[in-house]
Amino acid sequence: MLDNYLPILIFMIIGLLVGGGAMVAGFVLGERRPDHQKNSPYECGFEAFETARLKFDVRYYLVAILFIIFDLEIAFLFPWAVALDGLGMVGFLAMVIFLAILVVGFVYEWKKGALEWE
Amino acid sequence: MGFEKFLFYVLAATLIAAAGMVVTRRNPVHAVLFLVVAFFSSAMLWMLLEAEFLAISLVLVYVGAVLVLFLFVIMMLDVDIATLKAQFIRHLPLALVVGVIMLVEIFLVVGPGNFGGESFPNPAPQGPDYNNTRELGLLLYSSYLYPFEIAAVILLVAIVAAIRLTLRHRPDTKYLDPSKQVYVRKGPDRVQLIRVPPEPRRVPPTATPTSGVEDEA
Repeated sequence: MLDNYLPILIFMIIGLLVGGGAMVAGFVLGERRPDHQKNSPYECGFEAFETARLKFDVRYYLVAILFIIFDLEIAFLFPWAVALDGLGMVGFLAMVIFLAILVVGFVYEWKKGALEWE
Repeated sequence: MGFEKFLFYVLAATLIAAAGMVVTRRNPVHAVLFLVVAFFSSAMLWMLLEAEFLAISLVLVYVGAVLVLFLFVIMMLDVDIATLKAQFIRHLPLALVVGVIMLVEIFLVVGPGNFGGESFPNPAPQGPDYNNTRELGLLLYSSYLYPFEIAAVILLVAIVAAIRLTLRHRPDTKYLDPSKQVYVRKGPDRVQLIRVPPEPRRVPPTATPTSGVEDEA
């Protein structure tokens, strides 16, 4: 079975070699004379006004958490979908209960306004 | 078998090196990127064990979602690198002792003595049409039904907790709810034409005071 994945492994190795090779070639062939001003971040010629970290909105974090929860739900749906013909009614009802529990969470999220951006 | 063994050693070495880099890098973003490398190598190790669905789900869920959350937290918190560096050196001897003790304990419990080749022989390599996803599904939704439903409840708790902790309404945004916007009908209350009578015309005063001509308005 693992022979099926050998092309993927070769693909990854060649991808690493091409990507890494380009960086190594730049490192080897280019000259390096670092200077304080060359290494400092570029802000249209001025000195840096403030730190680059801005105030981060927590709505992005909520979106990421909701994504991870529904991603896990999808990860549970995949084996069920592939194995459904061997599971019968019991397996189908089990997934119905699982989805019903998560639909409760979905309705809560919808009504609370977590899906609105503002 | 020789190539698989070589691949296993390469992946295991990458995994251990990346894991070591995660805890020793100064820049937290670099540490998270090394964690990505660690997850990819462990996904490839699981693929060597012929658990293809679990390997892909490791990449999708861990790298795609959990590490995104890690990066968000690192971006949100203003991490002071200098104090972290000082604390690392101070605690390093105790940390090394605790780490070595943990490693020895793990090796004694999960090592070759209890989980070696005699008690758990290697499973035979499967044929080319072995479907790991299907085998997992057939097992999970029949024998392990109850833990599966408990997983649903845990996910529900996570949804409710995340929304309760982070959702806050901003009172100063003027946001129009689209579901209320569709209720606008063509009627008397939608557009109102108000007839405003024109203002009486006023003659503007003359400009220069030295002109000598006075305006009799």
